Amino acid sequence: MNNPTIRNWLGFSTLALMLASLFMVFDYVPPDAEMGIAQLIFYYHVPLAWVAFASFGLVAIAGIFYLWLGDQLWDDLGYAAAETGMVFCTLMIIAGSIWAKPIWGTWWTWDSRLTMTFILWLMYGGYLMLRASADDTPQVARFGAVIGIVAAMDVPIVIVSVRLWRTIHPAVLVTKQGTHGLEDPRMVWTLLVSLTAFTLLWAWFLMLRFTQLRTRSRMSKLAGRIALATVAASDPK
Amino acid sequence: MGAHFGYLFAAYSIIFVAIFLYVMFIWRRQAALDAELRTLEARMAALTERPAAGAPPRPDA
Amino acid sequence: MRKDLRLELRSGESTLALLALSMLVLVVLVFALGAARVRSVDAAAGALWVAMVFAGMLGANRALLAERDNGAIRGLLLSPLDPSTLYAAKLCAALIFMAVAEVGAVILMVLFFNLDFDASMARLAPILVLGAIGFSALATLLSAITGRTRGGDMLLPILAVPIFVPALIAGVKASAAALAGAPFESMGDWLKIMIAFDVLFVTAGYLLFEHVVGGE
Repeated sequence: MNNPTIRNWLGFSTLALMLASLFMVFDYVPPDAEMGIAQLIFYYHVPLAWVAFASFGLVAIAGIFYLWLGDQLWDDLGYAAAETGMVFCTLMIIAGSIWAKPIWGTWWTWDSRLTMTFILWLMYGGYLMLRASADDTPQVARFGAVIGIVAAMDVPIVIVSVRLWRTIHPAVLVTKQGTHGLEDPRMVWTLLVSLTAFTLLWAWFLMLRFTQLRTRSRMSKLAGRIALATVAASDPK
Repeated sequence: MGAHFGYLFAAYSIIFVAIFLYVMFIWRRQAALDAELRTLEARMAALTERPAAGAPPRPDA
Repeated sequence: MRKDLRLELRSGESTLALLALSMLVLVVLVFALGAARVRSVDAAAGALWVAMVFAGMLGANRALLAERDNGAIRGLLLSPLDPSTLYAAKLCAALIFMAVAEVGAVILMVLFFNLDFDASMARLAPILVLGAIGFSALATLLSAITGRTRGGDMLLPILAVPIFVPALIAGVKASAAALAGAPFESMGDWLKIMIAFDVLFVTAGYLLFEHVVGGE
């Protein structure tokens, strides 16, 4: 994880794939016949959704491991995942909103998936606010782990309840007939490339933030020891 | 066809600008961490230069 | 476990504040919705749940503040009581507290929204009990976190409300149906969601509470 070569390699391949996906969206893939050109937002909206939800899953997994093993490493991972997840979740909502305006005629509607995403966004926003307002102590790390686990546990109930509540979001990937809505193979390729690009981007961000948080945790430990040593050294005795 | 190009362009611009801003944020965090590390190193060096004051606990590991 | 209750009953102050708050929330909603909508059961159910969430939040924060002032958490932790029992006790206290607030809120709702005290109240009761269990289970766990954090009083609603949303949706829908005179069978799905929420969060609180209060 801490190997700079891997990090740089990951950063460059992310950049290359992001540019490739951009090219494919704007020059290669045909837009949807019904929705028109605005449908091309789909190719970034879906990967953003995937990395956002993967991040939030990772927060919960890291939380479980932190409470189980008590190693600071898991807390640093969970914090990094929550932060990157929040970035991607925010972008997913913005991109989806811009897509919805020309297609549905409204920026926002209380559809089940939109509602579910917004609730997730609020939950992890709360998590980050707690982390930002508190010191970095093992106690706060446990709080973060507990909230991460509780929030993830809540997700299935949220999904069931909002689905009963209302739904208009298009099910592009799997329709009721069991087929997917991407009839042109170029659409599938474009989606696969952008999915890979965003997965790499996610891994890169996660690695960078995780490494930074690891460094910070180690440094605060070190600072404590130096302070102790300074007291010991200045003590005349 | 071109009627909704503004929406498409806005969506992709916002995504790329946000990614760029987050990279900047990570970069600034890194600079702050580096500065903090340098102060710690200086304090450690100051400690080891005074060996007469007994053996301080090893700050590494 | 008796400690919280005794404290509340002795002062009576926060119970009164709770009822006052419920009343104010209902009054604000009557004005906000306008006289025309005040006869609808949907509006009444919604207002009732808004009052409940506010009351629950106030109750959780006040219980914690009272404890912090008295240094009771330290005393409880030093006693041989294990964290899970402590959680169960605090949950019961929060539940009774909320039940009192709910009874008050329901009476005020009937008066303000021009409803009748009839058989629908009997169907409303179990829905409100399920809602109170879920909210108390969640708020007891989360207020133990926010009470140990700077600026935590503000954080409690920010953390609790989004997580409570599924029970809130189900509760409002089921309450509206109950007030409209629908039978229990018609709201089976909503009741199932509420029961699932309650089971999940009581279990989670019971298991996770030790990680929140332990190791101080």
